[in-house]
Amino acid sequence: MGIEHNQWRGIGLDRQVQPASSNPVIVNGEMLAMWRGENGPVRVWEDRCPHRGMRLSFGFVRGDSLRCIYHGWAYRTDGQCVEIPAHPDLTPPKTICAASYPAETRYGIVWTNLERAAPSPLPDLGPEDGWEPVRSLYVNGSAAQVEAAIEAFDFGAPSMVRLKHANAIALGIGVELELLIALQPVADNRIGLHVVARGASTPETRASLARRLQRLRTEIEMAQEKK
Amino acid sequence: MVATTDTVARNEWVPCGWLGQIAIGTNLDTMIFGQPIRVARIAQDDYRVVELSDAGTEGRSLPVQTRYNCIFTTLGEPTRALPEISEFDEPDRRIVGCGSVGVSTCPYRLIENFLDLAHLCFIHKDILGDPEKSEVLAYKTEHRKDADEIWAVDCSFYQPAASKASTSGQMTKYIYRVMSPFSVMLYKTVNSDPSRNDAICVFIQPIGETQCLAYMPMALVDDVSTDGDIIEFQQSIFLQDRVILENQRPALLPLDPTYELPTRADASSIAYRRWLKAMNIQFGILEKQAA
Repeated sequence: MGIEHNQWRGIGLDRQVQPASSNPVIVNGEMLAMWRGENGPVRVWEDRCPHRGMRLSFGFVRGDSLRCIYHGWAYRTDGQCVEIPAHPDLTPPKTICAASYPAETRYGIVWTNLERAAPSPLPDLGPEDGWEPVRSLYVNGSAAQVEAAIEAFDFGAPSMVRLKHANAIALGIGVELELLIALQPVADNRIGLHVVARGASTPETRASLARRLQRLRTEIEMAQEKK
Repeated sequence: MVATTDTVARNEWVPCGWLGQIAIGTNLDTMIFGQPIRVARIAQDDYRVVELSDAGTEGRSLPVQTRYNCIFTTLGEPTRALPEISEFDEPDRRIVGCGSVGVSTCPYRLIENFLDLAHLCFIHKDILGDPEKSEVLAYKTEHRKDADEIWAVDCSFYQPAASKASTSGQMTKYIYRVMSPFSVMLYKTVNSDPSRNDAICVFIQPIGETQCLAYMPMALVDDVSTDGDIIEFQQSIFLQDRVILENQRPALLPLDPTYELPTRADASSIAYRRWLKAMNIQFGILEKQAA
């Protein structure tokens, strides 16, 4: 799988993953379930119950366990199956374990890495505090097209790329606003953008930015149609 | 789509339409195992089935049988006859067809879902099961070598509303019978007469490896419900299952028992998968076994 496999990718905004919810996410065609217990951080698992293959993003949360919707099998946060309702007195064998992926929450963004055994550390993208969610959006286009469009985009004030990472771009907008955009490759021509802001950002400036990002999507997709 | 070369699959009888679906003098173009076919109704009970080329021209004629409210055909030379289900011949039975429902998955996931007791209390909550009574008691599975069928006997499960005719909860007794890789049925306790069983079948038309039509003929002891009520009940149950079936990954069936891990309640699924593996069927299976 090589270098491309071992990469951290933003897959959602932390604040948008509701407590006690499970949600489908696709990274490079891999189907994942991003879920949160009633408390605690977001977990990222293979979107497949080890029992009969049902997608765990259809599951339901009770306490800090994710239960598969098909037969109610309960999985602890480390992936271990701890309850099989068909056999209430059975201690599930250790072999029944959901496949989990590395998951980190930083900059208000949930990150994962498809390298399960030995992931590289999450890269340093600057100070960790003060980030507020702007929005997530999904765009039809290649990663290169999306990156080029972001660099050329009119954010409403002079903008400058401060840092470029394999799957993230940090921008300064005007003098006091910083933007971090994490790019999630869904498929070859489908990219998710997860955007957070820091600095002189008020709910109004963030709402205005969120609207402006819709224009970014339109620009990218119109450029695609012309080809 | 390319027609399967898997002779195990080609040699089975499968449904390709239900009686009454095609008006006399008209055709239904459909597909089995990736092979386009035309089902023509010549007269009241006279059906012909032919293969169609990609260009739509008629080719080889295929065998036809009509039974259990369905039209059956085959691409090969079946060694297994259509199953005998005597309940369909009892004069006081309600025979209800229920049409067909399309499902995007392999045929075997449908059969396993039908065999599955443990899901009833989650997917058919308040109808066929109660999450507070989720236990699946031990039952027996048998490979009946004379008919080459898989049976699961002595099954029971608590059901709040077991059928359209139910008025209260009950411990429903089930017997399951897998008659071919593509057909399954159950016998379940009749509400009004515990000495008799309702017979509910699922015959699957495999369109492609992960595309099916399911036919659900039933022979019931029920002189209260209307056909419409019965069909509505059965279809509402089936639609709850379809959401599950279309979201199992992979859609093809894995036969490796370490890829999907069963528990005791899955004894019938375990027996079914072993049986499929032993017959070396390839169509719709995840692992392409050595021929």
